[in-house]
Amino acid sequence: MIQKRRVPIKGGYFSIPEDPLEPPRLLGSRCQRCGEHYFPRRAICARADCLSDDLVDVALGPEGTLYSFTFVHMPLFGSSNLEHMDGYGVGQIDLPEGPRVQLPLAGHKEDYFIGQRVIAELDKMREDGDTEVVIVRFRPTGDKK
Amino acid sequence: MRNVAVLGVGMYRFGMGDVPNAVMAREAGLAALRDANLSFRDVQAAYVGHIFAPVMSAVRVMKEFGLTGLPVQHVENASATGSAAFREACLQVASGRYDVVMALGFDKMTTMIQQTTQGTAPENMEDAILPAAFFALWATRRMHERGMKPEHLAKIAAKNWNNAALNPMAQRQTQEQMTPERVLRSRMVAWPLTTMMSCPMGDGAACAIVGSVDLARKLRPERPVVRVVASALQTEKYAPGHLFMGPVVGPAQMTIDTAAQAYNEAGIGPEDLDLVQVHDAFAIEELEYYELLGLCKPGEAEKCIDLGDFELHGRLPVSTDGGLIARGHPGGPTGLAQIWETTLQLRGEAGKRQVNGARVGLCHMMGGGSVCVIHILQRD
Ligand SMILES: [Zn+2]
Repeated sequence: MIQKRRVPIKGGYFSIPEDPLEPPRLLGSRCQRCGEHYFPRRAICARADCLSDDLVDVALGPEGTLYSFTFVHMPLFGSSNLEHMDGYGVGQIDLPEGPRVQLPLAGHKEDYFIGQRVIAELDKMREDGDTEVVIVRFRPTGDKK
Repeated sequence: MRNVAVLGVGMYRFGMGDVPNAVMAREAGLAALRDANLSFRDVQAAYVGHIFAPVMSAVRVMKEFGLTGLPVQHVENASATGSAAFREACLQVASGRYDVVMALGFDKMTTMIQQTTQGTAPENMEDAILPAAFFALWATRRMHERGMKPEHLAKIAAKNWNNAALNPMAQRQTQEQMTPERVLRSRMVAWPLTTMMSCPMGDGAACAIVGSVDLARKLRPERPVVRVVASALQTEKYAPGHLFMGPVVGPAQMTIDTAAQAYNEAGIGPEDLDLVQVHDAFAIEELEYYELLGLCKPGEAEKCIDLGDFELHGRLPVSTDGGLIARGHPGGPTGLAQIWETTLQLRGEAGKRQVNGARVGLCHMMGGGSVCVIHILQRD
């Protein structure tokens, strides 16, 4: 089966590597003046004592640490992937560069624990002609999959 | 806040119905005018809050009262819309520009659901995730850090359902006593939050009319004056770990800071409060706000819940009208429903849910996790 071209649910948030085995990165910014990292990208540093506009694009992750989690008993909005029909996990993930992000999690509630190592992956939401619409999510690195 | 009193309050009962915004808003506004002993001719300006209604709805709905030429301003600040409209009305009176200003809120949250489920391409990536999930993440973390149990959330929700049963304007009216067990048995939305721990979809309207203290005495000499002694509104301050995506909850520090500003302005502390309304869209929020507003010490919320501190006849009653969970949360009018409740309580007119001798009440709302609004009302 030929891999369909993958397009993001919303542009500008995560990369889509050519190699399907390579994990995506989150698209963020770093302040050149104070060193703070941000996700998603921004033009002006948010720190009240900085507010510099000297920010550069950086790729964040792909690994992180689970700060909190839940499991939603509803389908993921905008998804027709059968895996999402009975619900989906959501996590707060601390990235090594500093930002905390809130994104879907692969697996079920029993698979998660606070402090767990997780890694970014692309997840199919639906097919749109000859493209596959994907979102970024995290999965436990110890996951047998 | 100098010289501002609540002259009158009115509501159109929250619930699911087929009643247009114009009708709900008109009924709430007329009720507030009757309560204040005023005619619409006396209203010099109006701040009108709605979130989901179409462009121009504020000024169109105001025509229901008559075309007097008064200035009308639409205010929107997500869930804190009604609170923000109330604040603008109070600031106008405090500035001395006007003597009588109306704050009106209305909404049909049912229409938002139709809008958000229509498209498949979300405006923001986080729109794919159910908002309840962001509050659930807060709850899971609390269980990890403080040993909170789902039973604590169920106790808060059951309290609010039972308070709502005593409020004729509340959306959720349970016939039999609500128990934590029933709350826990309701459908799971996002672990550990169940449907009965979450606010319902609904429609409704609420209105408050504010004016000078002298006018309040003149219009209703037989009634105690309810003053607005603090109005604070803050947005987020950046701190490491700040969540920019899915900002439904907002940083805890924002409520701490806004409360400090409000207590300072009123010249009181949390120990002086007799009742409190909070943004309890989900039970975990009410639990967190007990601590962030200083109603109990950090880490003691669970213990206080087990002691019944925040029950209707407990140490410090919270969400006396049923809160967002059971009084309802249509959007635009929600913050004004808190003002309605607090005003009635401070006048001693809250009927079966009256908090004996209530003199000082606090109202807290959050908008999209990005803005916090707190008002403190005090009876002379
Ligand atoms: Zn900076």
